[in-house]
Amino acid sequence: MRATATVLVALSFVATGCGHSSSASKQQTILVVVDAPFSQSPYIGNTIGNGVRLAAEQLNAQTLSAGGANYRLRVLRLDNALSPAKAVADTRRALREHATAIVTDGTGVDATWRLANSKHIPICIAYQGGGGLVNPQTRPNVFRIAPTDHGLAFRLAEYLVPKRLKIALLADDSDYGQEGKAALADAFRTLPKSVAARITLPSSASDLAPQVLQARRSGATALLVWAQAPALAKTIVAARSAGWSVPIYTTPAGEDPFVRQQLADHPSWVDGLTFASGRMTAELGPAPWATFEAAYETAFGTTTVGVKSHGRPVIAPPDYAMYPYDFVNLLAAAVQQAKGTNPAKVLAALNQVSTHGANGDERGFNERNHEGVVDDDVYFARFSHMVFRPVRDDPLSSTLPQINQVR
Amino acid sequence: MSAQATAVRTGTAVREAVATARQSWTDSATAAGVAVGLAVIAPFVLGGLIANDSLASGAYLALAATGLGLCVGLAGVPSLAQGAFVGTGAFVAAHVLRDTQLPAELCALIGAIAAAGLGTAAGFAVRSLDSVRVAVGTWLLTWLVALALGALPWLSGGAQGLVVPTRRLFGLNPTPLVHYELGVVLTGLCALGLVALRRGPFGLDLAAASQHRGAAAALGVPMERLRVVAFAASAFVGGLAGGLAVQLDIVADPTAYGPLLSFELLVAVLVGGAAAAFGPSVGVIVLGLISLAARALGALAGVSASRFQPMLEALLLLAVLTTGGYAFVPAAIRAARRFRPAPPRASRRTAAAAPPSRRETLRAHDLAKHFGAVSAVDGVSLELQPGTVTALVGPNGSGKTTVLRLLSGALPPDDGAIYLGRQELTSLTTAERVRAGLVRTLQSRPFFGELSVFEHALVGTNRTRRYGGTVRTLVSTPLFRAENRIAEAHAFAALETVGLAREADRPASELTGSGRERLMIAAALATNPAVLLVDEPSAGAAPEDLELLKAIFTRLKTDGLAILLVEHNLAFVRAVADQVLALELGRVASREPNPRL
Repeated sequence: MRATATVLVALSFVATGCGHSSSASKQQTILVVVDAPFSQSPYIGNTIGNGVRLAAEQLNAQTLSAGGANYRLRVLRLDNALSPAKAVADTRRALREHATAIVTDGTGVDATWRLANSKHIPICIAYQGGGGLVNPQTRPNVFRIAPTDHGLAFRLAEYLVPKRLKIALLADDSDYGQEGKAALADAFRTLPKSVAARITLPSSASDLAPQVLQARRSGATALLVWAQAPALAKTIVAARSAGWSVPIYTTPAGEDPFVRQQLADHPSWVDGLTFASGRMTAELGPAPWATFEAAYETAFGTTTVGVKSHGRPVIAPPDYAMYPYDFVNLLAAAVQQAKGTNPAKVLAALNQVSTHGANGDERGFNERNHEGVVDDDVYFARFSHMVFRPVRDDPLSSTLPQINQVR
Repeated sequence: MSAQATAVRTGTAVREAVATARQSWTDSATAAGVAVGLAVIAPFVLGGLIANDSLASGAYLALAATGLGLCVGLAGVPSLAQGAFVGTGAFVAAHVLRDTQLPAELCALIGAIAAAGLGTAAGFAVRSLDSVRVAVGTWLLTWLVALALGALPWLSGGAQGLVVPTRRLFGLNPTPLVHYELGVVLTGLCALGLVALRRGPFGLDLAAASQHRGAAAALGVPMERLRVVAFAASAFVGGLAGGLAVQLDIVADPTAYGPLLSFELLVAVLVGGAAAAFGPSVGVIVLGLISLAARALGALAGVSASRFQPMLEALLLLAVLTTGGYAFVPAAIRAARRFRPAPPRASRRTAAAAPPSRRETLRAHDLAKHFGAVSAVDGVSLELQPGTVTALVGPNGSGKTTVLRLLSGALPPDDGAIYLGRQELTSLTTAERVRAGLVRTLQSRPFFGELSVFEHALVGTNRTRRYGGTVRTLVSTPLFRAENRIAEAHAFAALETVGLAREADRPASELTGSGRERLMIAAALATNPAVLLVDEPSAGAAPEDLELLKAIFTRLKTDGLAILLVEHNLAFVRAVADQVLALELGRVASREPNPRL
């Protein structure tokens, strides 16, 4: 019995070190909880975490005043390990610690939004694009700054159909792939003649040659792959190793360093791979992005891809980090508008404020739209020599400059 | 008047129950009571230092681990499927919650029943496998469930999980605190049930079967059926934990019920102590400390704690296993007993009373058994009369033990028939034959290593019980308690018959070879047989032990038992047998009355 008591006391002592804040500091602290898959998908987790941290550090370097008080931003990183149950536990902790907002990749939002909404705490999704996650009417506290699946799918359809290609739609069997498959089905619903085949890629398979062969036999003249980076890499390998030089189109998974690392022995196989993503630059030109990128690299260093282009190391631009970065700036603006951190007021203010995002775009929400990246912001980029540049055959993309990706 | 009589009867039964509980109350029970009390007040004492939802998750984990204790501790079966059962309970409850308006408690119960169904199927599949195969088989089941959840988004809700609506729990707002208190109460009740089952016929039978399958089978222990029940009960508790935990989590998460959960539950049980009722709960607390250590290590190494946690758990398990399996709670109990030994139990027992003897004649006609081209037994007929000893002699390989196995039901005959009185036994199982009155002891002097001498005899009495079922044991009905007293008296009488009454509280492992032989005869006698089949009782016995055995056989004859004795020691045969059957190449070569007689 004594042992049990000792254990409980020990647990309590250790637990005191887990971020309990004093009531005095609560009133002057804006706590932003980052709930992301740091252990399961470190690239995504760190991208989101760094974006939030960069914004918090920049805001703390100035003085954030609201309602006569000064505020400091504190960032608490919690690992959801891609588990909805863990996301619920993290949300409960965020509520206990009086978080002002939660930034997440999107894991478990179906379960967590209600908990957070009971305390009027906003949740911002900075990665997942699934339909149904965001709905201002039914989920008033859920916002998103990231390209939506719907936007990506319709932009891909809009871009590919005029090319008169017969497209094989390949989606992997992960939730990411299956949600993309649904979005593609919606986008190509009225264009059945453009679709040569709809094929599911088994994520766990070591070789996707049978699925690629099936696509080839269907008469496809292009592959549109909606899959996680490993399955995408295997698809490219299967097609190119069979000598099939079919054009391959994909989602933001295409710029994941993993794909290029997997194909490092055959750089030419990456050439021509085209992906859709949210644009890094806006009408204002590349200057805002360059400022953001420089600040990011100063704070966290460059993210090297692990391959070279013309003998120089290739880096991955922190494009997905700008979304959480933008949200934190929006949150700060909302706190100022609300004259404090009263959750209900901050939540209401988030529907009213706007800021200039890291790429120069205007970012903001309103009561009827909680999507921070509009469908028109999706652009296309194509790889050549392990770096990508915006395509020239799409009106939006053709206006965008190439971002330097070598150091 | 009748209501008054019922009230009086109920009052008497309650007083008896209290008296029985008082008699069996130990220091461990006091410690457990204090532990539960402290656990109940923990959230108020800790003042929010540990979040209530973390405490509640821990309480449900402890409930699932305690359920696993049924399987691992009682049945000695290393199940790695408990995570799958928890997951089954969680997802079934989640679907019922989403699709119906049923109360939250009922949804959890439905989840538990579904898990028990899966547990029954799993138990049936592994009922006769050894420990290693059980572990592998249940591990595969866990993977199967995890893969199914991953492959079927309509079942699991996909990456977002299956969000469940919140409903009041026993009329209360289902806050994490309510869940925690419910988890603690259910864990306490489950631990109490574990203690009751362990002391009852179910637990003793399972303990016997896990320690020596052959000897348990010879005493008619229905090992396979008990294993299935243990699996089902274990799964039920796991499913209940899952069905409630999913309401705490508000989401059924397909990633939460994978093989890692099964592994962690088994680690908790083995580290805390499988045989101790609160061992699994202590194991869960240890796992909680390990997660804190993993977090600290992760922070030092700059990586996620989840990378260290399974490694630390495996290391701890290895340490426990390689240091002789001394888990936390059993080690603590052992240490405590050094300072305060447990009082002897035998002194509290009622006086010995032998059951009324059954006088039946066993007849076997033309028994035959072939192994390929070899005829091990070929047309053997025999008749065992009450109050007689028939010796079966012959050279090695003559078929003596095969005859015993055919008679006891360990082997099915190719031909022939067996009757006990008017009842035909030929197609009955060993357990059914023991209940009918035919029991056998084995040649190799096996025993149940962790049971006391008295508990050995109690295993035998279990075959004579009518009210010793699992449910009656759990609620300790008046009929169960009354029958318990009779069973204890019979067990004690059986020990007196073989001269082991004074050794009743000693561990069987402390007995000599001859003592163990007599112990298994006592266990067989405790089944209240009409016919006793004994295989070479005198092997390796010292002269004084032989005298003791002779006296025992003489007394058993006097009591009216029909005995078949397989024996090489002809002097012993001459001393006790009434009739001698000589076997040669599977046939009866001669059938003579004992020349001494």
